[in-house]
Amino acid sequence: MNGQYASLLIALPLISAFFVPLIKGLGDRAVKYYLILVTAVQVGIAGWVFREVYSTGKPIIVMAGGWNPPVGINLYIGHFAALFVVIVALASFFMAIFSAKAIETEPTDKYAMLFLLLMLGATGMIATGDIFNLFVFMEITAISAYALTAYNKTGEAAEASLKYMILGGIGSSFFLVGVALLYGATGTLNMAQLAQLAGGINATVAQVSLALIIFGLVVEAELFPLNAWAPDAYQAAPHPITVMFSAFVVKAGLYAMARILYILSAASGWADITKLLVILGTLTVIVGELSALRQRDVKRMIAYSSIAQVGLIAVALALGTADGVSAGVFHMVNHAIVKALLFLAVGYVGITLGGTAMENFEGLGKRMPLTAFSMTVGAVAVMGIPLFNVFWSKVRIILAAMGANYTWVVALVLAASVVEAVYYIRLIHTMWFTGEGERIHENIAIGTIALFLALLIIFIGLYPDYFWTLSQKAGQDIFNVVQYVKNVPLMGVGS
Amino acid sequence: MLKRALAIISLLIIGYWLAQGLAGVPFGQDKMLVGQYYLNHVREQTGAVNAVTAVVVNYRGFDTLGEVTVLFIASTGVGALLWRKKRERTAKTEGSVVLKTGAELLFPFIVLFGAYIFIHGHLTPGGGFPGGATIATAFLLLYMAFVGYEIPHRAFEKVEGVAGMGYVLVGLIGLAIGGYFLFDWIWLTWKWGAENIGRLFSAGFIPVIYTLIGIKVGTELSGIIDNMLKEEVGE
Repeated sequence: MNGQYASLLIALPLISAFFVPLIKGLGDRAVKYYLILVTAVQVGIAGWVFREVYSTGKPIIVMAGGWNPPVGINLYIGHFAALFVVIVALASFFMAIFSAKAIETEPTDKYAMLFLLLMLGATGMIATGDIFNLFVFMEITAISAYALTAYNKTGEAAEASLKYMILGGIGSSFFLVGVALLYGATGTLNMAQLAQLAGGINATVAQVSLALIIFGLVVEAELFPLNAWAPDAYQAAPHPITVMFSAFVVKAGLYAMARILYILSAASGWADITKLLVILGTLTVIVGELSALRQRDVKRMIAYSSIAQVGLIAVALALGTADGVSAGVFHMVNHAIVKALLFLAVGYVGITLGGTAMENFEGLGKRMPLTAFSMTVGAVAVMGIPLFNVFWSKVRIILAAMGANYTWVVALVLAASVVEAVYYIRLIHTMWFTGEGERIHENIAIGTIALFLALLIIFIGLYPDYFWTLSQKAGQDIFNVVQYVKNVPLMGVGS
Repeated sequence: MLKRALAIISLLIIGYWLAQGLAGVPFGQDKMLVGQYYLNHVREQTGAVNAVTAVVVNYRGFDTLGEVTVLFIASTGVGALLWRKKRERTAKTEGSVVLKTGAELLFPFIVLFGAYIFIHGHLTPGGGFPGGATIATAFLLLYMAFVGYEIPHRAFEKVEGVAGMGYVLVGLIGLAIGGYFLFDWIWLTWKWGAENIGRLFSAGFIPVIYTLIGIKVGTELSGIIDNMLKEEVGE
């Protein structure tokens, strides 16, 4: 089939979101089922794209408007994008099902539109091959995220959203200034052509613009000095949205960072920026884990844990070696599964028992055994116990860091992992060994999703090879810039 | 005081750093890699006389679709956050007679001019976004002058959705006819208006899309105004 049909990944969520005002008269239920239907179709398209890319081994280049890059904008759906488009679509599909139960706040139709556009933004960020187009999709993601954070209309939600909005706004402006500098220095916005021209950029310009762009993306990617919004936003947002934040919104930011970093790897001053990113990532791990230790609210605790994991991914992506990037991608996949499971379970407890404070989790093993079981699997996996998926990706990251001579990073990250074990074991202890309670009826659909994710965690833990190969291919997609440039059918404009 | 001084100093450092970066970008030198291509080919390839609209809608139409979406999210977000079961305008001071009569008289002219801007996007400066914003100011004027005025909310919402779908649909027709999403099928496949460059009926799908964008932006900004001016009232 024609590869251009992959543009439906963008067109479908868009047209469906615009369609929602026309069906809102049919009532809340209809809107929620419509949301499930659209995300299911998106999963189908993403699955087709994934099969297409991995069976041919060639990326799909979508050329919007039929113009060859760099005149037009192209989407580059290589191994990485194909993999993550599936993850985005699947996570959205699961969360659409979860939303049917979790979202009671009015107006549901607006929620559905923002939900679809958040999915669209993340898909676009991952797929685009144009640096200004990346900015546009980043804005789509960020602005729908601001609105969805404040969706519950409580005081703390408004505060969290405001924080996020101000930081995100500043970050986006920096990103835009960086893009303007790059355009001024090279005269093109296409990533492939930028990679070709990167070596010839004036050293100061390259450094300033790269630093500005990375700085702008760090806000979205939740790295240390600029992630103060994240725990508040995770806690205040509706439960399905929290899952989407940690499963793919932050991943899209991280990926964009890695992509731009490696595109410009020929520029001078590049090594300084990667070093800076490794330091920021390590600090994120440490600060995240230490903050999680003292939390009394489980959702907030997992939010801090999620931030710490993101720091680990950033470290891996910034190591500057092929192993590091592949390991980072592998951890992105695993983290998406594990955190989706944990936030789903916590959110489900939150809506069933009214709140996510630690007290609500006492005796959960007796009251909601299925939820408690899947949460335990998730918690054990995050700690990096062997035979669970995160173990393999953490090992890969540590090996890659050793290989890149960052021993101090390894020491600090491992120390932080001990802290992580402490608070997760405390959570498991609270769930299974304290409190009493009656059995509560658990929702079948949500239980099935949780169980599916839990089984996936164990499956990857037992047979990591298939997913490791996938991640290696996806990592090569980011790391091997020469191949990337070769794949994009650049027309000879000016060069 | 100390805080302020530190802020000023760090801002100066950042400013100096940015200036260093800017100084490295040669000013006035020809850096038009892609830009020159646009200028050389815009007439035959898109049929538009206005190069900016050709780039924005045709060559880089994907970005514009994204920007339209950003605006849609903004209006949806405002709608979601300010949603209450019963909301009404609670303004108390009616405008003066001069203001009311003036607003009534001006309203059709502003709407007409807004429509002119977006219909002539491929010929004159402007396009969908300025045209839509102009139309929204006409509704803002009515809101300011009349205490009880409200836009037909439901209809506006539907029109906004339909206009957005229209944009994506034009793109999808391009995918079906030309094989590419957002392909300009009116110009590149049908060659419609090829002898007409520089006149109203030319430039392929640019006027079609700009009309859709103008309608969409106009209804969207009016909707935001409407949402922000209403207050909650008791049952």
